[in-house]
Amino acid sequence: MTHATLERGINALREQIDAPVAAFFNSCVNCGICAEACLFYTESGNPVYTPIHKLEPMRRLWEQEYTLVGRIRKMLGLSKAITDEELREWEELVYDGCSLCGRCSMVCPVGNDITYMLRKMREGMAASGNAPEGLIGATTRAVKLGSPMGVKVVALQAQAKHVKNDTGLEIPFDKEGADYMVLLSSMEIINYPEYLAAIARILDQAGKSWTVSTEAFEATNAGIQIGVSDIARELVSRVVAAAEKLKVKTIVSPECGHAYTAIRWEGPNLIGRPFAFKVRHIVEVLDELRKEGLLKTEGLEEDHLTFHDPCQLVRRGGVVDQPRNLLKMVSQNFSEMEDCGQMNWCCGAGGGVSANERADELRSKAFLRKKSQLDKLNVDTIVTACANCRIQLEEGLEEHEMEIPVVGLTEMIADHLVVKEQSEGGT
Amino acid sequence: MSIEVSGKTLETDEDGYLADIGEWEPEVAQSMARTDGIELTEAHWVVLNILRDYYIEYQSAPAIRVLNKTIGKKVGKDKGNSKYVYGLFPEGPAVQACKYAGLPKPTGCV
Repeated sequence: MTHATLERGINALREQIDAPVAAFFNSCVNCGICAEACLFYTESGNPVYTPIHKLEPMRRLWEQEYTLVGRIRKMLGLSKAITDEELREWEELVYDGCSLCGRCSMVCPVGNDITYMLRKMREGMAASGNAPEGLIGATTRAVKLGSPMGVKVVALQAQAKHVKNDTGLEIPFDKEGADYMVLLSSMEIINYPEYLAAIARILDQAGKSWTVSTEAFEATNAGIQIGVSDIARELVSRVVAAAEKLKVKTIVSPECGHAYTAIRWEGPNLIGRPFAFKVRHIVEVLDELRKEGLLKTEGLEEDHLTFHDPCQLVRRGGVVDQPRNLLKMVSQNFSEMEDCGQMNWCCGAGGGVSANERADELRSKAFLRKKSQLDKLNVDTIVTACANCRIQLEEGLEEHEMEIPVVGLTEMIADHLVVKEQSEGGT
Repeated sequence: MSIEVSGKTLETDEDGYLADIGEWEPEVAQSMARTDGIELTEAHWVVLNILRDYYIEYQSAPAIRVLNKTIGKKVGKDKGNSKYVYGLFPEGPAVQACKYAGLPKPTGCV
């Protein structure tokens, strides 16, 4: 990231005010309904976390430069110029107090995509040097080392060895022409290695060819979270280059929310051309395999289960039915959470919040919304499909001494695979 | 920054983590612990050895969940939790245990 200044920040904000943003500010009726949709507001009770308020410096810039009334007010000194101090103050609202979960956009009565604006606001914040240290660190590591957590290819190869020992299956690195190129999040490599083993077993049973690129295995995109498009583009380009080099048909985004948004929805826009391959979330891939009859499971979970919908899957991606189709295959006692599906509440850690240590206290407060949803259900196990949600749930549950295990959906499906018979296929 | 251990001067980063893990020896942990007023017991060494073994294999510090699981396997399931680790290292596995074990400052997880 080049040297950040107030001037660069204001220029960046100005550049971000495109037609949708201008139309959204123009349409806002100051109703405040978005506040009730935001867990940082509902759980803290502090009105500064009202989503549209988090955009106030950008709104004022829009008003001063693009509206007649705003120009006059500015000339008369009635509307103040944006200062560095103000942006510093807003940094906490824009990064710590927003997980880019998208609920505010869903409830806005005039249809403003507030999350879209917030994502753009972060571009100005980062350019003016007002971004959290934790997120700057993660972004720097992502660019320099290829992973926001500093996880190197050695760690992935070590996990691959463990998978080989446990399952007898080889992780196919750098294989040309594979059906699927599987991406991983650092969190999965280092914290949930069960995911890699689960993928290996499922795709082996389905008879699909797959690969992991040693040049681009990381799915997460810190550039999207911090709001620096140049970096977001660079990180997406690495994945695209690897996929094109290996000539794969489909890229599989892992159990991670924003990684899916980054590569699937923002990816082609960032690199300025359509992809020559498909991009799917692992849950979508599993559901496609189910439809094709290639996912054979046996046995049902005895536990009372629920599913936590990752925001980026349901609201940005519309992936609502797929996880439920899959859960039906392996469960008999399943309850939905209140507000499940498209309006599910965020875990409180998305959008870079978990990478920002300063936000720890607020993040744990935000978890109270999830806790109150869970308190009503009394389940034995929570299933989800995002490693970041999972760690937030695990930490929150531990803090409140609630002993409910959290399991990844892919892992749960893999646990129920029909064991392949030796004679199958005649070899 | 640097620390003095067994008559040698070892480079550290600004937070006191060893600059070169190769320079680590058990006395490094002893000396850092003494400064913090902690006496290293058998139980402490189990955790420090797990951290070192993991780092040597993965070139990264383990996530807290993985660390807890490994401790649970080694010394009993009732001890495989964050409370146990914080009991031994009051400042936590990242800040204290990794530092004593000679690992670089963890990024993100522990």
